[in-house]
Amino acid sequence: MKRYFYCIGLFLSYHFALPTAAMAYIGPGAGFAFMSSFFVLIAAGFITFFALLSWPLRAVVLFFKRRSIKQNSKARRVILVGFDGLDPKLCDAFMAKGKMPNLKRISETGSYRTLKTTTPAISPVAWSTFSTGVNPGKHRIFDFFTRDPHTYLPVLSSAAITTSKRTLKIGPVQIPIKKATASFLRKSVSVWTILGKKKIFSSVLRVPITFPPEKFYGTCLSAMCAPDILGTQGTYTVFSTRKPSEKNGSAGNYAPIKLIGNNFESVITGPAIEKYGTKKTLQLKINGTIDLKKSIVRLTVGTKTVELSVGKYSAWMPIVFKAGVRKKVQGIARFLLTEIAPDLCIYMTPINIDPEHPNLPISHPGYYAISASKLHGSFSTLGLAEDTWALDEGVIDEKAFLDQAYDIYEERKTLLMDNVRRGKDGFLAFVFDTSDRIQHMFFRYQSEDHPANQGKDTALHKDTIEQLYNKMDSLAGQIMECTNGKDLVMFVSDHGFTSFKYGVNLNSWLWKEGYLSLKAGAGLDGEWFSNVDWTKTRAYAYGLAGIFINTKGRERDGIVEIGKEKKALIAELKDKIESLSVDGNGMRPIRRVIAARGELKGPYVNDAPDLIIGYEEGYRASWNCAKGVITEQVIETNTRCWSGDHCVDPELVPGVFFSNWKMEDPEPALQDLAPTILDIFGIEKQKFHDGKVLPFVQPESKKIKPNH
Amino acid sequence: MPKIKVEKDLYEKMKDCAEIAGYSSPEEFAIHVLEKEVDLFENAENDPDVMERLKGLGYI
Repeated sequence: MKRYFYCIGLFLSYHFALPTAAMAYIGPGAGFAFMSSFFVLIAAGFITFFALLSWPLRAVVLFFKRRSIKQNSKARRVILVGFDGLDPKLCDAFMAKGKMPNLKRISETGSYRTLKTTTPAISPVAWSTFSTGVNPGKHRIFDFFTRDPHTYLPVLSSAAITTSKRTLKIGPVQIPIKKATASFLRKSVSVWTILGKKKIFSSVLRVPITFPPEKFYGTCLSAMCAPDILGTQGTYTVFSTRKPSEKNGSAGNYAPIKLIGNNFESVITGPAIEKYGTKKTLQLKINGTIDLKKSIVRLTVGTKTVELSVGKYSAWMPIVFKAGVRKKVQGIARFLLTEIAPDLCIYMTPINIDPEHPNLPISHPGYYAISASKLHGSFSTLGLAEDTWALDEGVIDEKAFLDQAYDIYEERKTLLMDNVRRGKDGFLAFVFDTSDRIQHMFFRYQSEDHPANQGKDTALHKDTIEQLYNKMDSLAGQIMECTNGKDLVMFVSDHGFTSFKYGVNLNSWLWKEGYLSLKAGAGLDGEWFSNVDWTKTRAYAYGLAGIFINTKGRERDGIVEIGKEKKALIAELKDKIESLSVDGNGMRPIRRVIAARGELKGPYVNDAPDLIIGYEEGYRASWNCAKGVITEQVIETNTRCWSGDHCVDPELVPGVFFSNWKMEDPEPALQDLAPTILDIFGIEKQKFHDGKVLPFVQPESKKIKPNH
Repeated sequence: MPKIKVEKDLYEKMKDCAEIAGYSSPEEFAIHVLEKEVDLFENAENDPDVMERLKGLGYI
């Protein structure tokens, strides 16, 4: 009996353990699916095989193509370093004082000129003209931002970030997929795209208005207008035991600190995401301990702990928000302990997109930012990275701002020098905006009567701008050390600089003169024209550049007819605004008013402000005017640290042009640089270019010795 | 990127128009014309985040 059961057990074990043949119907769908994937494999294999087989042929073609380019090229490589906002008057003064020996030497052995800027003289406009060689009427960037004519609300001029909604269909199931995409709004074609088509490699690093980056033969690291992780142009955070009203303004976030003995905790507010149809703001808890004896704070963010002492920035720290299963949003930020007792205050920079884990495209190719970060360490990726608002709102002081600005400068210098040393040919463009940001925040030290000096230090940082120019000059020297006469090296700025003492609120003036109407019963002070009756408004000032006529067919509630009526209104406004005086004392805040249709040419002029305002030195669009706030006052005194500017008549703020080669044109302009770069590489100026080719004389190959 | 086919004659005319108007290419010309036409059919959307995106811009 036992043996019988043993046999049955053995049979069952065999039956279940060993596979047997199964019968099933495999329909044509499964067959197709199998064959399709097989076909993909075959196709991939074939393409790889063909690519390998044709490689020698392609290499030969490329070799001859490059050889013919090299034969036609006048320079081994072209290096263009931009110092945003470097002013010719200040350069002259500091060169005369011996503070800029390297650029002085270049001016003697090569060339030095003022460089005609764009109308208007605003960085995104000017650098777009540099990139494309055309006037703003052809590249469509007229300001940092413009109005959406459908809503009258502001939109960035150069980039749009939208959430694309796609649906993935799997049989009857539809899965919605949302993806943040950034589109580039600058028009025309960049010089590096044209170079790339001829297989000339370009490195375009931190050049303004390159977010999101274009695809071309070369590398690009985005700059001005690249957002932070919250999607803003830079939102700082203050963690504090003190109430927000005392030490926090409109541009930052306030996060209360909860103290438990010497321990504390707080929360970092992250981006908002949409989940199951509802918006959710991501948060990250932080905590730490206070050591009053050592005057330090130990701060833990995620898995990292850092020791903070007053006035010293931490290194870049990863800020990781969990957004769901296997989903995270990653950024980087630096921390600064500003006070330890009696209140605890920690400042956090805007959360930059992490170059090692970018959630938006900040480089081309995409891995360029990742490799640069791995090679040189984390670096700021925010477009306007220096936190001017934190200084303006008293969250950090002048020293902390300078430390931050120069740390960012060092990061960029490392990247530039690496490219200068390793690059052998092609085009390299690199722009430093340190010079622009520091001048904006320290220009009040240049004039004793600046209204912003009241109640502030006027001695401690009075040489900041001189030191800044000296630093830029020293960098120029270091670059020259790595180049020779075969390299054409240019140092340029997009515009100069001047004082910003008073703001002009042209919206208030337009309202007082009856060109702009408020809604019945509405009061003043609403931001972004919230109180304006568009159906009765004929003109409005927007942003920093100028005035739009509320035109029928262009603006949603436009009332001014195109043609005679619009022309007459433009002429009337021009006359009145040019004769505007300050409180009747004869001082004219506006030097000239420029009709866009006469000055700018191209298919996008209709998108420009109809009147571009050329402010006199010392004046600019007021803070309220730029944000569409109508007030009783037309002239507003500027008392902010942001005390220098360039949004004035372009004739008053030309940029600078230095080159190691002699250049014979007496009046170069920013729009000449793109056609000139093409010409240096033996490529003809394009028909759509507005600029001319600058005539260079190639020097004998010799090194220029720098002074540090 | 999706592409649209046009007749060769039309393309030649577009090339001339683009050059006269100051476009960098007939493609840029075509995109601008299409953008303007599409814009007429698009409903204006009040994006609540639009002003938030300018937050932190030092100039304003």
